[in-house]
Amino acid sequence: MAKEKLYPFHVTILTYMTQTGVVMLSLPRILAENFGYNGWMALIGLSGIAALNIFIISLVYRLGKGKSIFQIMEMSLPKFVLYPLYSFIACIWAVTGCIVAKNYVSIFQMISFNTTHVMLLKIMVDILVYFLVIKGIYNISKALTSFYWVTSWMYLILFFYFKDFEWARMTPFFFSGETHFVEGSMSVFTSFIGYELSLLLFPYVEKGKKFMRAVQIGNLLTTLTYIIICFICFGFYSFEQLKLMVYPMLDLLSYIKLPFIERIDNLLFAFFLFTTVSTIAMYIWASQEIVKRMIPKAKVKVIVILIIMAVFFIAWIPDTIPEIGEWLQYLGYTDTVIAFGLPLMLIAILLVNKRARQ
Amino acid sequence: MIPLRKKALLLQLFAALLVLSGCGDEKILERLGFIHTAGYELVPAENSGEPDKLRVTIAVPKADPEGKIKRETMTAVVATSKEARIELSRQTELSLVSGQLRSTLFGAALARKGIGEHIDTFVRDPAISQRVKITVVNGNVQHLLNKRYAEHPRPGQYIDRMLDKEAEAMMIPNVTLYDFTRDYYDDGIDAVAPIIREKGKDITIDGIALFQGDRYVARIDPDDSLIFAILRQNFKRGEMSINLNSLGYGKEKLLFSSMVSSRKIKVNRGENGGLSVQIRMLVKGSVLEYVGDLKIGEEEDRHKLEKRIAEYLTSNAQKMIDAMQRHKADSIGIGKHVRNSMSYTEWKSTNWDELYPNIEVRCSTEVVIKNFGKFM
Repeated sequence: MAKEKLYPFHVTILTYMTQTGVVMLSLPRILAENFGYNGWMALIGLSGIAALNIFIISLVYRLGKGKSIFQIMEMSLPKFVLYPLYSFIACIWAVTGCIVAKNYVSIFQMISFNTTHVMLLKIMVDILVYFLVIKGIYNISKALTSFYWVTSWMYLILFFYFKDFEWARMTPFFFSGETHFVEGSMSVFTSFIGYELSLLLFPYVEKGKKFMRAVQIGNLLTTLTYIIICFICFGFYSFEQLKLMVYPMLDLLSYIKLPFIERIDNLLFAFFLFTTVSTIAMYIWASQEIVKRMIPKAKVKVIVILIIMAVFFIAWIPDTIPEIGEWLQYLGYTDTVIAFGLPLMLIAILLVNKRARQ
Repeated sequence: MIPLRKKALLLQLFAALLVLSGCGDEKILERLGFIHTAGYELVPAENSGEPDKLRVTIAVPKADPEGKIKRETMTAVVATSKEARIELSRQTELSLVSGQLRSTLFGAALARKGIGEHIDTFVRDPAISQRVKITVVNGNVQHLLNKRYAEHPRPGQYIDRMLDKEAEAMMIPNVTLYDFTRDYYDDGIDAVAPIIREKGKDITIDGIALFQGDRYVARIDPDDSLIFAILRQNFKRGEMSINLNSLGYGKEKLLFSSMVSSRKIKVNRGENGGLSVQIRMLVKGSVLEYVGDLKIGEEEDRHKLEKRIAEYLTSNAQKMIDAMQRHKADSIGIGKHVRNSMSYTEWKSTNWDELYPNIEVRCSTEVVIKNFGKFM
């Protein structure tokens, strides 16, 4: 097993699959609400910020010469500082994973299983996630790569919308109308979150520059996907309409009509399970990695099952879709802080150590 | 490692869970009533002082292969459309679902009053497709849906297929829930919908309804519907019969077919800041039927005919736009182009609904006869 390494291609897919998920469904509306006309362009800037963040992570990788982040932190931080920090990050990542799951199943319940209990649906997603996570990162990455191919054909759906796409609907106005740049940037940025888990991949990748480049490419792939979808929404729907649609992408899916069948949106929505499970699995895996570091003797399976069970009960708390949205929002903010804070702290530690050695 | 047998057990358990969890939302095909068409119309409260009521009629095709009855229609008279569902479901042994709803019909009187609240319900319900058709009915909706049309399929399907076919030939715009809501919320265009009515033993297209906001304000005659199509969008397939009599060219008639049309809307600014709009239409097509004294095989005469057709199209388009301006219905989307010629602040400070009837709109047409058949 030790010989196995993650190849750059797998890292790219891993990053992309962790970043994308159900957020895509509401992203065009959030952009319209917060950035006004032609709000999709904000994605370019926000993706740039994510790229900068990834660059900071790559500095950690370079300065640490491939050491795992745990090794770096344990070089100079005492345990009584480390363990609360570890627990905090592990908690946030695990809860993020489970709320993402809850969000997906809640939408699924709304469109298909109106009277089935949400948590019953969630148990099923959790079982899938459990079986995926216990296999370790190499197998997760392989599974995610096949998930990617299973869902990648969905880009072809976009051709359905060319006929009703109209440039005149895009308007020549940029970022005008009622706008909330700061709030909007923060909430849209959470849709890019996911790349920070590459911090944990250091020990598992092939040594070399290609690794961080792969993460950047993954982020670009996410950006491109988001831009295409949102761009189409802005030319396909009228602006005022877009602001009122809770899940513009769900409506896009229900617009599809094939010669022999109509209303395949439920079926297509099920494909989002793949990208959602990927996101959840990666966050639970990341949380597991940290717990494993804290209790090295514990078995992986036990850790994973305990994490999943613990967050299962947390996921019970938010009940309505708006509540879940609010939770996701705040978790997203915290994840953003971790995504920037953690690598910056690691760089500081590395620099201090370097100077001390000199 | 978990032993293989245990693993198999776990897998079975998982499979059972997966299957059983569906039981809560069990849906048996034979027990479902798929609403195919839903009709809404106003029942005026005659002098009783009560508010007007709503009559909702639905057509449900029957899936039972043994039953002789192929469809069922149900009607309920209610105060709001939300009550209708409960009231209708009391009348049937099937559970009514709207996932396969294909078309909705609105009585003309109701459409005049506004259909916004119905549209709101449709877009909110995740079961309802974005492709549900919106149509206005001139006449009694209940009667239209209840009647048996001996020579045609059942009414729901009949209407649905006819609308599809006619929209393909550009005789009516294809108006789905998606199209309607999109234009309804757009500040630079107003929504439209086709009109149908009962005619003897058939159903027929009765023109195009022009909306202002969610209210039906004006109608376009079926004979002019192709001119409307030329003004509203670019298209690649259409056919119209033209009677040049109205322009004073004697008894000249022709059928202009395989039409390909494109139109450009240009917004100009006068020196004093006033707006004027120029609509340029380019129509190409073939003439396969012509009655008149020109020889369409000869180039000179053909150009003359092109000029006359252009004149006909221009004058009719101009009349149509004047009428639309009078009714304050910007059905061809001039507002979109005006908006796109302005800055954001300028557009926001313009009251387009007030400005629209007063701006100058000029049409010009170029006609090209691509061919005239295989006979000189």
